[in-house]
Amino acid sequence: MRILISYESGVPIYEQIKSELRGQIIRGDLPPNAVLPSIRTLARELKVGVITAKRAYDDLCAEGFLYTVQGKGVYVSKSAEVKAENYAVNEIRSKLKDLAAFAEKNSVEAKTVLELVKEIWKE
Amino acid sequence: MYGLEIKDLTVDLGAFKLERLNLNIKKGCITGLIGRNGAGKSTLIKTLTRQQDAQSGSILYNGLKFNGNEAQVMNSLSCVYDAPHFNMALKPKKILKYYCSVYEGFDTERYHKLMEKFRLPEDMRISKYSFGMQRKYCIILALCRKSELLILDEPTSGIDPFDRNEIVSLIQDYLMDENHTVLFSTHITEDLDKIADYVVMFEDGKITLDDDKVTLTERYRLVQCDNMTAEMQSGAIGIKKNMFGYTFLTQDKEIAGEGVKTKIPTLEEIFVHMLGNGGEGI
Repeated sequence: MRILISYESGVPIYEQIKSELRGQIIRGDLPPNAVLPSIRTLARELKVGVITAKRAYDDLCAEGFLYTVQGKGVYVSKSAEVKAENYAVNEIRSKLKDLAAFAEKNSVEAKTVLELVKEIWKE
Repeated sequence: MYGLEIKDLTVDLGAFKLERLNLNIKKGCITGLIGRNGAGKSTLIKTLTRQQDAQSGSILYNGLKFNGNEAQVMNSLSCVYDAPHFNMALKPKKILKYYCSVYEGFDTERYHKLMEKFRLPEDMRISKYSFGMQRKYCIILALCRKSELLILDEPTSGIDPFDRNEIVSLIQDYLMDENHTVLFSTHITEDLDKIADYVVMFEDGKITLDDDKVTLTERYRLVQCDNMTAEMQSGAIGIKKNMFGYTFLTQDKEIAGEGVKTKIPTLEEIFVHMLGNGGEGI
């Protein structure tokens, strides 16, 4: 498990941990039922506060990506991969909405934007 | 559950006073006391560690009163002060012997491991150690005790970044046991800022902030802007002006506009702007 944290990005640390974990779930690096490090181990390894680590796990549990077994540990949910993919698609949709609004404001046609996307994809 | 419960604590030093202080320090967490020189951090720490008498109020250590439980409380309490609190003419060997005889369950194996790790010579007088070495030695002694409360007065001041990083890891190791509690004072060094769970800010002997770090940093935005509007000014904390524009702290998360940049502040930024309010700036 690898998690990179940036203190300059302005994104809350627990959000950074969450998105790294979600990414690893989508890529299959963290398969269903995989065991995650305990909150205290995660905090120590990442050099973050215990509460920060707890917040990341709590949020991901609430969103259905992870589940906790009292007294045993935190695990990846069975349906986490699908959920993470849906999550990614939704994120892309909302980013594209911003992009579309920006294009419209600057009178750039949808066709041009699509071509740009294809061009970038090839790279 | 609290590692420390401080109630109505008054410490009168004549020129300086902590007055009716109320503070609970959560068990299993790291709490950082921040404030400028003379804000009251060291006075509070000295009072907690029984180096300083209080005029009134009460302190509970893991739910225990000091009076009547002296031995138990002192054995469960590890402290690192701003200077070594033992005879500096002694060599580590003698000090180790003393610690083993006084403190129940002192971990000598771990002690020797850490002495080696931090390259501290065991056959040298503490007074011959450099300032950084002395601090590291005090921290090692505190960590090898079988304590449940660890209190440190500016633990990483005067220590180089490499060793500071190691010390931060050691503090986090200590916290792997969820019955342990850590309280430290700091002038804010970034590495301590990262691992603290709770932050208590002091100003002139009073607590001006007491919150968990995640909530605290999220409540504020640090704004940089070219021009100051009246609307922005109304909620601005600690406005600082320079050649290129203004920087301030605000609780208004919706602030946006041309030439306006916002981000979640670091603890240091909150600290600087809160204290700057009404002082320098405009």
